[in-house]
Amino acid sequence: MSLLQLNEISVHDGATQLIAPVSLTLEPGVPLIILGETGSGKSLLAQAVMGTLPQGLTARGRITLGKDALDPAQPARFRALWGRRIAVLPQEPWLSLDPLMRAAPQIAETHHLVRGLTRSDAAAQAQKDLAALDLAAVGQRYPHELSGGMAQRVAIAAARAGGARIVIADEPTKGLDAARRDDVARLLLDALGRDGGLAVITHDLALAQMIGGQIIIMREGKVVEAGQTSAVFAAPTATYTRDLIAADPAHWPARSTLSMPVPGLAPAAPVVAAKGLSLSRGGQRLIEDLDIAVHPGRVLGITGPSGCGKSSLGDVLLGLLAPDAGAVTRAPGLPRTALQKLYQDPVAAFPPRRALGMTLADVAALHGARAQDIPAQMERLRLDPALLNRLPGAVSGGELQRLALLRVMLARPAFIFADEPTSRLDPITQREVITLLRKVATEDGVAVVLVSHDMALIDKTADRVVRLGLGGQEQAPVLQDAFAG
Amino acid sequence: MTILLNRLVQAAMVAIIVGVSTFAMMRALPGDAAYRIAAGRYGYDNVTAAAADAVRAELGLDAHWFPALLQWLGDLVRLDFGVSLVSGQPVMQEIVHQLGASLWLALAAVGLSLLMGPPLGILAGLRPGGLLDRVLLVVSTGLKSIPQFLMALILILSVQMGWLPAAGYGQSRHFILPALALALGLAAVNARITRDAMARITEMPFYRFAGWKGLRHGQVLRRHGLRNVAVPLLTYLGLQFVTLIEGVVVIETIVGWPGIGHALVHAVFARDVPMVQGTALVLGLGFVLINTVIDLTVRRIDPRGRT
Repeated sequence: MSLLQLNEISVHDGATQLIAPVSLTLEPGVPLIILGETGSGKSLLAQAVMGTLPQGLTARGRITLGKDALDPAQPARFRALWGRRIAVLPQEPWLSLDPLMRAAPQIAETHHLVRGLTRSDAAAQAQKDLAALDLAAVGQRYPHELSGGMAQRVAIAAARAGGARIVIADEPTKGLDAARRDDVARLLLDALGRDGGLAVITHDLALAQMIGGQIIIMREGKVVEAGQTSAVFAAPTATYTRDLIAADPAHWPARSTLSMPVPGLAPAAPVVAAKGLSLSRGGQRLIEDLDIAVHPGRVLGITGPSGCGKSSLGDVLLGLLAPDAGAVTRAPGLPRTALQKLYQDPVAAFPPRRALGMTLADVAALHGARAQDIPAQMERLRLDPALLNRLPGAVSGGELQRLALLRVMLARPAFIFADEPTSRLDPITQREVITLLRKVATEDGVAVVLVSHDMALIDKTADRVVRLGLGGQEQAPVLQDAFAG
Repeated sequence: MTILLNRLVQAAMVAIIVGVSTFAMMRALPGDAAYRIAAGRYGYDNVTAAAADAVRAELGLDAHWFPALLQWLGDLVRLDFGVSLVSGQPVMQEIVHQLGASLWLALAAVGLSLLMGPPLGILAGLRPGGLLDRVLLVVSTGLKSIPQFLMALILILSVQMGWLPAAGYGQSRHFILPALALALGLAAVNARITRDAMARITEMPFYRFAGWKGLRHGQVLRRHGLRNVAVPLLTYLGLQFVTLIEGVVVIETIVGWPGIGHALVHAVFARDVPMVQGTALVLGLGFVLINTVIDLTVRRIDPRGRT
């Protein structure tokens, strides 16, 4: 018997239909992946199943959970299922643990309050759960003393302690590097077991492939393709699925076709160069004796696992952070505003209650740009002028990141440090933003340092690549020259 | 450990600043300080040149200022605040007596404010934008903008009906009015602090996640809400102590409460410098002490600050 059945579930905002009726079945031991970009409705669908739709949205249809029929139009009744029948894994496990409570009690309280074990039994069971996840030693630590991976496992244990057989994971790999993503996939499959239910909501193609099972692909509130995951990836039938798979950095064409370096102009002086750079963070040496140089119109890629010092290196190049040793030189006569940064989270990089057009006009005025510069750049970055009247929260992540790039361009930069600029975007949008960044660099002769944990993306985009290892010593930084040979 | 060390240095700084400034006040009293003090001590009609000279000799007002300052600070270190210029009693003894009265009043006020503010703040914060939230915003802004002397006067007028004694000391019903006057101002602000903290915390992923684990609303609030709200609230309580001291001085004077604020005001009028010094020092050190206790409590609750 299936664990969970969705019958013609649709989500509405008043009279507007946000999600067209979807039917699907969750079978024991077979994971289900709901794949789609931001705004595709995949999260709304999950929220409809959990009864956590934002106020004003209503769901219709029928949900069958085991033997029980549920009406998604009455979300208040779903709360009783949380933890007991359906466990939800949070997007950001670190933020999902109470910062003031030690790890073990956060699991034990579920055993105690939800499953009704006595306090001491609950504590013992929590310790067992931790031991099963190789975390026996960290039960007495506070969340801020856990690594991201440990927090993820603690959160999984806490979510499942209530005894739910069905696990819903909402974007479980948001912002994780490849190695951590593989860990999460393994954890989820372990949690699934033989007779559990697992639904994974993601935009991460690699995660989807690792989880396998069944997949539905959503776009603009509709299911565009459904089937067995391996079959869909091997032979996508919908155009959108094909685009999506092609947008995976692993499938990008090699760098030379994205942009051709102009021959003969290459040996320009570097805009920013560093020699013998050493850098520590929190008492740990991250980077040792690194030499790098960024030339106009070129992209230097920096890649490495979380916490290897990628962002700190960027701050050193920007002059925001002093290195332990070594010197950073910038081209003579560069004003400070010629060094710009593109942030990871565009939403956090804009004032939330100001129309985008006003923010951009301020920046343009500050840097003496002409009034027509904004429309010209809007066209170049393929942005709809109507966006200028909206607030940052009301445009998509990809549009906002392009607006952030536009804002950076208004300062007429010679150097842009782009810190994971697309890690929160879906593959198609990611490719669009990276292509535009690349184009801007080439056309305007801007030196770009692009940071990403995605090695494929860096390999396909950058002219030169710096790979950083963890702790500086384990893996010495390797400078690869894409022009070598 | 660093907290204690920091606070110890802070306490020493408070003592030195209070000591030096009261010394300077002593020296800078307009007119001949000896005559002023003699007037304070014996009454204006009984001031004679001989009395002034006696005061002058007793307090060493003729001597060079520097050795006198050292002597002054030396007495301070030995916790010898001297005797009140007015009553002739040791300052220490008077302060111990008055501090008790003030402490009870302050405790009653803080306790009362904690009964009113945070519970309302939590309820408002659980439903930001709701009716209670909006009413609370208006009421607390209103209460906060009423200066304390006015608050006391309003309360005094309102008890003209005869329900409460407007002034007096010695019975528990005498506490109600001054404590309420202080508590309303404190509660107005700590309700807002609690409300903002609560609203922020309910939006946090860990709060939502606690629900997903299967905990009921009340369990989530008790286990994950209250403790997290307590951190900003406690920190703020330390800052509120300044408001409280200010209020104690004003309110005690208005309702005739025989506490340290009342004593401070009288000492200022009578130019009883040792008393001013003693009370200012006790209030200053009290501020440091309260904040030390709060720092240590917050650190027990919140592990993130620990290194």
